[in-house]
Amino acid sequence: MMTVASNGKRKRVALVIGAGSVKCAAALGLWKALGRNGIELDMVVGCSGGSMYAAMMALGHDVETCERLTRQLWTREITAKRDFRSILGGFFPRIFGFDGNFATIHDARLNAALRGPFGTRRFEEAKIPLHIVATDFNNGQKVVISEGSIFDAVRGSVAIPYVWKPWRVGDRLLLDGCMSDPLPVDVAIREGAEIILAMGFDSPYPRRVKSASRYAFHVSSIYTNNLLRANYSFHNLAHHAEIIPILPEFSEQIGLFDTHKIPYVIEQGERATEVQIPYIHRMLDAVNV
Amino acid sequence: MPMEVTAELLGHTTVVRVVGSVDGLTADTLTGALQSHVDEGRIRLVCDLSGVEYTSSAGLRALLGTLKAARQQGGDFRLAAVQPGVHRILELSGFTSILKLYGDVDTAVASFAE
Repeated sequence: MMTVASNGKRKRVALVIGAGSVKCAAALGLWKALGRNGIELDMVVGCSGGSMYAAMMALGHDVETCERLTRQLWTREITAKRDFRSILGGFFPRIFGFDGNFATIHDARLNAALRGPFGTRRFEEAKIPLHIVATDFNNGQKVVISEGSIFDAVRGSVAIPYVWKPWRVGDRLLLDGCMSDPLPVDVAIREGAEIILAMGFDSPYPRRVKSASRYAFHVSSIYTNNLLRANYSFHNLAHHAEIIPILPEFSEQIGLFDTHKIPYVIEQGERATEVQIPYIHRMLDAVNV
Repeated sequence: MPMEVTAELLGHTTVVRVVGSVDGLTADTLTGALQSHVDEGRIRLVCDLSGVEYTSSAGLRALLGTLKAARQQGGDFRLAAVQPGVHRILELSGFTSILKLYGDVDTAVASFAE
């Protein structure tokens, strides 16, 4: 049963799923827990890996379908083909040319995988209002996408620097959303959410830095994790919306493509959410909070 | 879980013990309780968080407001016995770099003598 505040007006609840690759699957556990307890979402915001889950949830897929789609699209296979043209252009620009962006992995397989669930789908079809965050490569600013092609938005939002090339949408070149706002609670605040469920994750550091690409990924993680803290702190203190952090605990390391651990990740997300359910209900029932 | 706030004076330091959740429903009560100590000149404050398992954004604002008020008057606001769940939230929001945290109340109280 839907919870309604005693003033008759239901508070607007947002779910914000931050960057975190496979760990973002914890949002499915959160969603299960909310559904079981009759708590509806008024908007979903996603960034980077979180954008895939936000989009699938907003499009109305059930948890089992979301899990299946993730296992199909987010596999090591999508990183199997090196982008030698880009790599050579990056290191020998005078010989091979450099077109202004760089990637070590060819994106054909990633694009094909993302076209599966999102190919022709548009924001306007979403059953829950959806917002996806990416970063404008040219000026570094956050870009919030709320209309148009979901595929384009997700592809831009997951464009991990040095791994995949940025993605052009109109006159913008979009890079991974985690480069500007790894846990975009501010988007939910701007859209009028009163209760914000914030599921954020530290970007993992490689177990061993044994290649240039891992070195680049490690450095990106350092940037991103510090940005996550700075942004999260600012938004907690600068706004009066109630931000409820839901932080699943993982006793084992979850790698970038550990999709076999998704059931465990979902379970931890569900567990972390269940702890907060009584409080979320009290917040929904409270007046003038 | 409802919140309870109690206080006791240990030497020149006021120890405020909080039990329950510090969130949007309880933060105003905590802010009021902590601010009353600052207003009365009790600006060496230790907040015993051993009984707090959760804090939301409203709780963080309450803690920061007290920290600013105490430091503006030449005192300090320090945390003791922060539980793992709360510590993760403090860490995520950068509070562990601006607030002093201690493992237990005695150590926190003793830190004011250093």
